[in-house]
Amino acid sequence: MIGLFLVAPEDADQGVIQRIFYFHVPIALVSLVAFGVACVAGILYLRGGREHWDEVGVVSVGLGMLFSVLTVITGSIWAKASWGTWWVWDDPRLVTYLVVILLYAAYFVLRSSAEDNRRARYSAVYGIFAFAGVPLSFYSVRVAQSFVHPVVFTRGGADMPGSMLIWFVISLVAMFGVFATLLQLELLQRRADRAMRDLKTRLEALMAGA
Amino acid sequence: MNPAMARQLRALLTKDLRLELRTRETAVAMGLFALVGMVIFQFAIGTRTDDATPFAGGIIWATLALTAVLGVGRTWVAEREQRVLDALLAAPVPRLVLMSARAVALVLYLLAVQVVVVPLAMIFFVREGSFADLGLTVVVCLLADVAIALVGALLASMSVFSRARELLLPVLLLPSLIPVVIAAAGATHAVLGPAHALDEYWRYCVFLAVYAVVFGLVAFATFDHILDD
Amino acid sequence: MTALVRARGLVRAFGGRRAVDGVDLDLLPGRRLSVVGPNGAGKSTLLRMLATLLRPDTGTIELVGHDIGARAQRARPHLGYLGHDPLVYLDLTAWQNLELFGDLYGVPALRERIPEALSRVGLLPRAHDPVRTFSRGMAQRMGIARLTLHEPTLLVLDEPYTGLDAQGARLLDDLLAGFSTGGRGAVMVTHELTRAVELADEVMVMRAGRSVGRMETAGLGAAAFADRYRELTS
Repeated sequence: MIGLFLVAPEDADQGVIQRIFYFHVPIALVSLVAFGVACVAGILYLRGGREHWDEVGVVSVGLGMLFSVLTVITGSIWAKASWGTWWVWDDPRLVTYLVVILLYAAYFVLRSSAEDNRRARYSAVYGIFAFAGVPLSFYSVRVAQSFVHPVVFTRGGADMPGSMLIWFVISLVAMFGVFATLLQLELLQRRADRAMRDLKTRLEALMAGA
Repeated sequence: MNPAMARQLRALLTKDLRLELRTRETAVAMGLFALVGMVIFQFAIGTRTDDATPFAGGIIWATLALTAVLGVGRTWVAEREQRVLDALLAAPVPRLVLMSARAVALVLYLLAVQVVVVPLAMIFFVREGSFADLGLTVVVCLLADVAIALVGALLASMSVFSRARELLLPVLLLPSLIPVVIAAAGATHAVLGPAHALDEYWRYCVFLAVYAVVFGLVAFATFDHILDD
Repeated sequence: MTALVRARGLVRAFGGRRAVDGVDLDLLPGRRLSVVGPNGAGKSTLLRMLATLLRPDTGTIELVGHDIGARAQRARPHLGYLGHDPLVYLDLTAWQNLELFGDLYGVPALRERIPEALSRVGLLPRAHDPVRTFSRGMAQRMGIARLTLHEPTLLVLDEPYTGLDAQGARLLDDLLAGFSTGGRGAVMVTHELTRAVELADEVMVMRAGRSVGRMETAGLGAAAFADRYRELTS
């Protein structure tokens, strides 16, 4: 990670601020993957009804939200450095992420107000629903074409020097690692919580019986 | 859809229509809300310019999206207040029919509002409107209504079984409607605005159709898990 | 002979508390079962599962030969469910309500059936008044008209006598008496111990989500049953 600041090559035009690119794009991609994981977990939950998939879903959406917010923040910093304003409405990617954040914020509102026995099912349905909304939001925002954002990947392949590409890939892999680790940790903790709760109820039942 | 299902769908729609005609509360409230909304937008934006034509599409669809929240919020309300939901769910009605009936009823509500609001908006905001433009706008309305109704039927059916449903529904519905508002406003602007860009108009219309198909499929795949407990 | 109800190992929990906790239930054609028990015993939850309104967490239910996990839709035409509420639209007229439910159940010759059903429950003169203008007892009788319009094979009744007037109670008594013939049957939850014994062939006592006793009503007096009930539920 530190290598990104010290060693990775700078863009001649953009200078030091360009380094944020190594974070911005991987974070953005990972957040989409997280929402994708939540969608798949939703489908699996509706198929089998296992509580595990509900937990994977809610943790993934939480992490996806975290990464989307970071995407918008880093994107905004980049916008400030490149174009002199914190926010540009005609940049499709930044605006899409804002819409996506709103879309997934509703997931948590739904989760907190759904009845107990319907919560997991509704979360699963909304996880699938919202993921279908992501590309639609992206496309709808993009229909209003914009050339403000530097298009780094073009159809011919990656439009950056080899050394930049290597650092970019390293960063991307690292971000996926961060996501996978956080997901595992959070799931472990939830499993421990659940075991604790079960133990408590069983103990209470035992005490009541005695 | 076989004849038995068509009979069920017709019966459910007749029921919705009869309930609405008895009170007329939903359509009247939605219509008034839409008018007030447009006036508010006009005072908020339009007064700063002599010609509101460039904003017409935006004003119309921002208003209609908010109005849709009212209509979607009425979904399942009669069943809940008059406590009949169990009778509908215990009857041999495929869930596909229940959801379709909701969606069709929503399209009818939205159309009833638009019949009044869209021509008025053209008179209020558009300098040189023609009947051909109105016709093209009707197409936008139909596509957007189907899209809103599908998403609305799905989300309303989730919020009806939840706490604080009046608060939940707008938060749930409006983010998903952002693409609809972008596309419908874009299409309307392309027709009514100064540029009159028809290729842009068709691109937005295709997007609305794609949106409706995508969420139609999502609703079709998931509604069994929403209605049944 | 296909059992009307065949339920095995039913469990349904709400927020970690098991409302129904391992109930088996069989009902053969021609039989009527009443379910009694103190508040919170899980009677209504059990009944909602039998009415296909609630899925069991674990366990299986077959209604009229159809497994409702896989094909609830096949069983539904044969069921008649009545709850505490009449389950009709208050803002529709009596006629419109029956028209709606007749169409939903695919009832043939509906135009002739509706007046018959209404006159059976004594509501024909009020056919074109909204149910909202009815008294509680009349509305509940309207519920009975809805219940029987599609000629169900299996009645699933949850405290059906709540709010019923004398005329309605007599109607329901007669209806239940008739369900011991023609391969039909009924499951009824009630808190009236006397009716539970007199109108059913068998009584099941529930407590804390479990069945704690089942007995034939033949030869069982209401007073004797009341004693047994106190014993089983205390």
